[in-house]
Amino acid sequence: MGSADSETEPRRRPYRVYREGSEPDPRFTLANERTFLAWLRTALALMAGGVGIEALNAAQGETGPLRTLLAVVLLVGGILCSMTAFVRWAVTERALRTGSALPAPRLAPVLGYGLAVIGIFACILVLVAGV
Amino acid sequence: MPGRDSGDRESSGRPSGPWDPGLQIERTTLAWSRTALAFVVGAAVFIRLLVRADIVLATVCAALTLPLVVIITRLAWRRHRQDERSLRSGAPLSDGALPASLAVLTVLVGGIGLTYVLVN
Repeated sequence: MGSADSETEPRRRPYRVYREGSEPDPRFTLANERTFLAWLRTALALMAGGVGIEALNAAQGETGPLRTLLAVVLLVGGILCSMTAFVRWAVTERALRTGSALPAPRLAPVLGYGLAVIGIFACILVLVAGV
Repeated sequence: MPGRDSGDRESSGRPSGPWDPGLQIERTTLAWSRTALAFVVGAAVFIRLLVRADIVLATVCAALTLPLVVIITRLAWRRHRQDERSLRSGAPLSDGALPASLAVLTVLVGGIGLTYVLVN
């Protein structure tokens, strides 16, 4: 630990993450990996929510435009989440290697407030439109 | 499943690192397992839905998903064993190839879901 990659090490991918800095504390690398996986699960949960809402369309036998909109928003959110999860993992890993500051959790407030809005929207849908 | 080595103090000839009592690698592998399970559950629900629309497509999805999840889980366990060895020898941990593949797969799954919603 602590030493930079030697020439005998196989090249680690993605190269732009590993090309600079030194090996960080393994605990931090593993914590970064778990955080990445947690974001992926969040993305999967969003996608499942989207597909679940679409299932209501299928169960009702008619397509509600509001339901479809909600499903699309959730699915796009899930895709966005999984894309940023890996970018964030890479940026964090590089920051750990170079000893610089970790990236700001920019997606967290978007996700938090976004889910709140979706929740309110879903409540209205249930109460007013009866799903 | 590979068991955790408790006698690392002897095997590596140096005191266990601070990461070892925290079961860092085990927690990480469990996180991989949870993610793989999330895939299975999501796929099961989606395939159940797809059965009504297109039974052939549903069968293809099921036939693709199951081996894929088995492969991911196996690779995660291989990563586990490799990282255990790396920690003991002081070598760098596994790289970002598997996380990148899983991220791509998740985006793909989202794309399939989106296509399903839009086509329906």
